[in-house]
Amino acid sequence: MFRFLVRRMLGAGAILLIISAITFCLFYAVPADPARSFCGKICSPTDLETVRTNLGMNEALPLQYWHWFVALFVGRTYPAWGDCAAPCLGYSFTNHEPVLATILDRFPTTISLTLGAAVVFLVLGVGAGMLAAHKQGSLLDKSASAISLTFSSMQIYFIGTLAMYFLVRQTGILPEPHDGSITEDPGAWFSGLLLPWIVLALIFTANYTRMTRSSMIEQLSEDHVRTARAKGMPGRTVFLRYAWRGSLGQIITILGIDLGSLLGGAIITETTFNLHGIGRLSIDAVVDNDLPMLMAVVVVAAGLIVLFNIIVDAAYALIDPRIRLA
Amino acid sequence: MISRKTLRAAAAVVAVGTLTLTACSSGGGGGSKSSDAKGGKLSDQAQVSVGTAADSQGPAKAVEGAKAGGTVKDIERDDFEHLDPAQVYTNTGSNFSQLITRGLTGYKQEGSKVTLVGDLATDAGKPSDGGKTWTFTLKDGVKWENGEAITSADVKHSIERTFAPFITQGASYVQQWLTNQDYRKAYEGPYGGKHLDNVIAQDPKTIVFKFDKPHADFNYAMAMTTYAVVSEKGDTKEEYDKKPLSSGPYKIVDRVTDKTLTLERNTNWDAKTDPIRNAYPDKWNFEFGFQAIPATDKLIAADKGEDQTTMSFYASTAGDRLQKVLGDASLKDRLVKGNSPYADYYWINNKRITNQKVREALIQAWPLQQIRQTEGGPDTGDYSRSLLNPTVAGFQETDVWGKIAKPEGDPDKAKALLKEAGAENQKIVYAYNNTPKQQQISVVIESALKKAGFDVVIKPIDTKTWYDEISKVDKEIDVFWGGWGADWPTGATVLPVLFDGRTIADGSQNYSNFNDPEINAEIDRIMALSDSAEQNKAWGALDKKILEKAPAIPGITNKFYILHGSKIGGAEYDPLGQIISPNKVFLKP
Repeated sequence: MFRFLVRRMLGAGAILLIISAITFCLFYAVPADPARSFCGKICSPTDLETVRTNLGMNEALPLQYWHWFVALFVGRTYPAWGDCAAPCLGYSFTNHEPVLATILDRFPTTISLTLGAAVVFLVLGVGAGMLAAHKQGSLLDKSASAISLTFSSMQIYFIGTLAMYFLVRQTGILPEPHDGSITEDPGAWFSGLLLPWIVLALIFTANYTRMTRSSMIEQLSEDHVRTARAKGMPGRTVFLRYAWRGSLGQIITILGIDLGSLLGGAIITETTFNLHGIGRLSIDAVVDNDLPMLMAVVVVAAGLIVLFNIIVDAAYALIDPRIRLA
Repeated sequence: MISRKTLRAAAAVVAVGTLTLTACSSGGGGGSKSSDAKGGKLSDQAQVSVGTAADSQGPAKAVEGAKAGGTVKDIERDDFEHLDPAQVYTNTGSNFSQLITRGLTGYKQEGSKVTLVGDLATDAGKPSDGGKTWTFTLKDGVKWENGEAITSADVKHSIERTFAPFITQGASYVQQWLTNQDYRKAYEGPYGGKHLDNVIAQDPKTIVFKFDKPHADFNYAMAMTTYAVVSEKGDTKEEYDKKPLSSGPYKIVDRVTDKTLTLERNTNWDAKTDPIRNAYPDKWNFEFGFQAIPATDKLIAADKGEDQTTMSFYASTAGDRLQKVLGDASLKDRLVKGNSPYADYYWINNKRITNQKVREALIQAWPLQQIRQTEGGPDTGDYSRSLLNPTVAGFQETDVWGKIAKPEGDPDKAKALLKEAGAENQKIVYAYNNTPKQQQISVVIESALKKAGFDVVIKPIDTKTWYDEISKVDKEIDVFWGGWGADWPTGATVLPVLFDGRTIADGSQNYSNFNDPEINAEIDRIMALSDSAEQNKAWGALDKKILEKAPAIPGITNKFYILHGSKIGGAEYDPLGQIISPNKVFLKP
């Protein structure tokens, strides 16, 4: 296991390095001059040069990337803004704050949104999937599949906007979504995220319902299950201990990937409900030509996806003794 | 003044709002109540004048029925990008700064009457030596939030620090005037111990500015937030942008960038010294991140709970909701309307279209009425009268090309002009910023130009590169949209910036590459005038003269609509900033 982890971590580092380099190149591939965005309305060539120096854009591109990379380990001093301690992801071009501080400020919202939604879609999705598998072919099975499919085919900007309009603006059944701190005011935190959790979960639930259902039906037709039944093991034990455990691997795989990408930022959900998480930060960075913020959110999002993939692979070995991590 | 995020390249993936641009403009407004398809008359236009010492005395005139106290919630799309006054240039930043920052001069508003008055100064400044010297005297009792007096040394320091290398986003007029050369090379700011000898703190209350040339509207320039005061002792250089020392009625008590900002009363602000701000609420809570449609929906629904005390400076009613809002009588009391101070043009590239007759043909063919219809109909704006916006002092209503009489365009006249020029079937490349709305407008324009005998090529340009493309000198395009807002309401920050041929360069604002020696000379003559009234009149005449040379097509100047909560009072439209001023806002019981 240890060798497996070390190997995967080194691989992850290489992937992140490549992703950051690609992001950097893509940013400069756009023919617009990013420095112009941070110069006044009437911007003389000297003004523009001053801005470039302040932003660190007056250097050759490979050198700029190298400085960004080195700052991760040793920090950096900016001429116009001061020190940025390691691990320094840079200073935001737009708000002139260390990028890392902003990301850390936004992360709790993204974690709250992701984990809360995960609880909802796991309970609903896996629960409905198990029921459907148990009562295969019944009305319950068909309606669970139909409902989940209907919601999964909807988009968040549609269902979210609709839910906001009817549940918040028109009827006031649910409170206005907002981001809060679980430690400062758990009640406000819960009520503010309730609608985003539900909406986000509705979209994800279907995958889990279908996955759980098909995987459990498959497991139930396996030889070892038939043998267990033939030997007189109670149906409930067979269902939970054999079939359920057997399908856990697939659920964990998809959950790992979903969590990784959601923690990297749910752009549309956060925008629809005006939550200040990593997703919003990334879209703002794109719009604002904020290179350091863009690099940071891309690397963090990619890092989370890679990390959760490693966790999923490791979890496989723990769940399924047939798998060896060599 | 520019609309927020002007320079921000607008590659919004989620919401492509009415992001505007450099010179800005989400709208323009020519003021009027024209509800007919034709031009209509201009009305309700703000008139700006220079006030006296009596006008400059505080306190601000009480708003009828207003009471002090309470907390106002304000929702916006974006956080205010700068708090250091020297870095503030947008209308949103300047509007917010009213709450925490004061300058030597400022604008006092009473209905549509706007007066330039002394804010920290006892009057709007005294010019002498033919406009080359300006003297301001500070009022008694003006203080920083820490209780220290605001002095002329602070004013001198504030001006000197606008030269510092970390100040890159504010205005640069005064720096240029003080040094008469590339100001960044002439002076690096006060931090190395060097000072400007033509900004003189004569005594703690008196500050004198000396220029080589006359600057009749220097007192207007001093009303820009860029030149508002920064405490010399409390100056933390670049850090000041995060935590400025307040000179206004409120101070910042909490801020999480791009999320929230809280203001509470600055007890060292004395209402008796301030002719501009009423400052009724005890507290302001700002929340950021509201996109146009959700913000409009929230304000439409704003008649219960905390929403009742919610307002916005600039979350103007989203286009998709405008007809609903205008048609709902119950929203009438909560709807504020105004005319945009921004001018709106379709630039003609004079370097490629050198024949004036062809440019005139373009103007004649231009389908203003159809464009306005595509934008949302008569409620969205008026046809522009000239190159200056009606809020600019000296504006004279003209209709040089008969566009107000015939806004739908005159293809026959255009054809005749092309024939006269020997340019039948003239090729025209029309470029537009590739947003859904501009795509629709391009179809309307293409059809009208074809009807008038032009060979039209439509060229969409990516939003990210739009402003870089149009501000190049050598561009393969002939006609394109653009807008401009005056930095103060005289012609000085419009006509020389846009039409002085000697400024043509990549990145300059002379988008139309217009260069006419006669106009350049007239600009020099007007700039040298020492009497501001005479100067304003001359700008008005020059406006017409330039338009007669057909360098651009005046477009649609938009109207501004915004809602507020049912318990918000005193939410007055600022006709110079296209924004809701915070100065008179109060909470109704």
